[in-house]
Amino acid sequence: MPELRTEEFQINMGPHHPSTHGVCRLLLTMDGEKVVEAVPYVGYLHRAIEKICENRTYHMCIPILDRFEYVTSMSCNYVFSLAAEKLARIEVPERAEYLRVIMLELNRIASHLIFVGTTAMDLGALTPFLYGLRERELIMDLFEMTCGQRLTYNYIRIGGVSRDIPPQFVPKCREAVRIIGGKLADYEGILNENPIWLARMKGIGYADPQQAIAWGVSGPVLRASGVKYDLRRDDPYSIYDKFNFDVAVRWNGDNYDRFLVRIDEIRQSLKIISQALDGLPEGETRAKVKARFKPPAGEVYVRIENSRGEMGVYLVSDGSEKPVRVKTRGGSYNQLQFLPEIVRGRGYLIADLVAIFATFDVIMPEVDR
Amino acid sequence: MGLIKKVPVYTESIPGGALVATSLEAVLNFGRAKSLWYLLFGTACCAIELMCTGASRYDFDRLGMMFRASPRQADLIIAAGTITKKMGPRLRKLYDQMAEPRYVIAMGGCTIKGGPFYYDSYSVEKGIDHIVPVDIYVPGCPPRPESLLEGCLHLQEKVRRQKLSEWQEK
Amino acid sequence: MTQQELTAYIQSSFEGKLTLLDTGRAEPMFEVRPDDLLEVARRLRDDLQLKFDYLCNMGASDTRERLEVVYSIASTTRRLRMDFKLVLGYENPAVESVTPVWPAANWYEREMNELFGIEVKDHPDMRPLLLPEDWDQGYPMLKNWDAPDFVRMPEL
Repeated sequence: MPELRTEEFQINMGPHHPSTHGVCRLLLTMDGEKVVEAVPYVGYLHRAIEKICENRTYHMCIPILDRFEYVTSMSCNYVFSLAAEKLARIEVPERAEYLRVIMLELNRIASHLIFVGTTAMDLGALTPFLYGLRERELIMDLFEMTCGQRLTYNYIRIGGVSRDIPPQFVPKCREAVRIIGGKLADYEGILNENPIWLARMKGIGYADPQQAIAWGVSGPVLRASGVKYDLRRDDPYSIYDKFNFDVAVRWNGDNYDRFLVRIDEIRQSLKIISQALDGLPEGETRAKVKARFKPPAGEVYVRIENSRGEMGVYLVSDGSEKPVRVKTRGGSYNQLQFLPEIVRGRGYLIADLVAIFATFDVIMPEVDR
Repeated sequence: MGLIKKVPVYTESIPGGALVATSLEAVLNFGRAKSLWYLLFGTACCAIELMCTGASRYDFDRLGMMFRASPRQADLIIAAGTITKKMGPRLRKLYDQMAEPRYVIAMGGCTIKGGPFYYDSYSVEKGIDHIVPVDIYVPGCPPRPESLLEGCLHLQEKVRRQKLSEWQEK
Repeated sequence: MTQQELTAYIQSSFEGKLTLLDTGRAEPMFEVRPDDLLEVARRLRDDLQLKFDYLCNMGASDTRERLEVVYSIASTTRRLRMDFKLVLGYENPAVESVTPVWPAANWYEREMNELFGIEVKDHPDMRPLLLPEDWDQGYPMLKNWDAPDFVRMPEL
């Protein structure tokens, strides 16, 4: 009988593929049905945001950086404002800090709801997608009431926030918190005990914690592997040290735990928002900042805990009204670097690779900028 | 039957029923306009608004539009998001793979003329007109779901007015 | 060790290798010479009091007078963070790869190479990352770069 030829061949999982993670190309080396190696090729969304920011004043950079990570656009505004405030040593009023925390946590919940929806859709379940986006519409209503936009907000500015919340914000926000908290049981009921979900998620995509730290992975992916590292607790910024919340952590490091960590994080964010609404003080919403903002010469690197990991901005100023260098860092960059390490040689099928890629929750503009 | 009210017909009663005469163009255009299937092509921020338009509150399915994963099965590309120089040839390849008659909606400022990335960017295609022929432009950054729905309704009008001889592009 | 004691500790134990730049800045910034980079990086990662095992960010910047490469590192166990930088000139800038110490630097160095033209020695996988495959118009992030279809925003 003639020998079976077994050669490895390459498949292109091209820049356009039917999951909404953006445009990422994976070159898969296959041995039959098993994936031997997956190499990411990026750059299909490289819009030169850093070059653009070098020719804009500081206030004009904020709407451009909105598009750096559009799903959690408040965080992008916030991290740049934090860097500029650190350089110029600006004191932010307390009401502005509370409003910032409320907006950041609402944005984190919205991002995780999209994660639940798109992960389920990638694995074939279409109903959680509609559930997740239905709850997200409540949060979009709150944002639209405050700053007029549904997606790229330009709300958190240097020195505070751009405008105060309208009077109907607080009761509507409490209502939204109550509804979302109740619907989480729906998501868990439809997915957590589902045998197809468990077969595709449990035990697949193990990420070793020491390797993850060495590759710079942060956020829910790291916390699902047992490393209790959350910048809101370990390197606190804003007024997070005043709030009482737990750091969501799981110990198995597989797909299922990465999914459960984010559901836990939604619960903790709801807790933080309730506490912030209870303690919201009166006062101004923005410190006095000149329209032609010129911070003193210097450089600073600041980082915050975003829903995808650590988001940072390295800002260099030379005393003029335009920054010299704005280097942005997103959590998805390191996670996409780490993907070949956990796929190599484990014998996953392409369907497993899709599930791993979905639970990493990579957003391409963070990678390509 | 609803179809009779929506296309121009000439009816005549005969014993046991009716005789309905209409033009082939009207019926086929009606069928095509009310079930445009779009390709899931989302690059950047507008893709999130496209997803929201397809979800529960602003529903695309009531217009008969559903997403398809492969360009061979779609007749509409909603180009949502910035197209860079690296991605331009891939968009053209996807457009070439669609079967005629095919349509393109340019969603968002980036696909119209470069959007906020027109100035100072070295890698953004300033508009997709020179890559694929565009039928409808939907401005906004990102456009609200209501804007996108209005754009789709305009496209349906355009499809209803098309003649059979225009189906095949030269 | 707190963040304040960190500056004093680094100055005492890395005498001559890491020099503190002028004070009065928002956060302390150290400078290292290109030849000492790998040795300093290994000591920062392995020192029992510091344990800087996490590379937060690495990038180059063009300040119109010189090129700088900045490293930001953190410790996941000790609640510490610091930055240090290298200074290079515009003529044949080259730096050693820190991927043996922090594997996270892999893509950061590839990006730095193709956008600024800084050569990285001993990198495991130097290929272009972000720009199109047929890009032949130079190093775009340098301040004096220009191209025919590059439109600058007019002054307001």
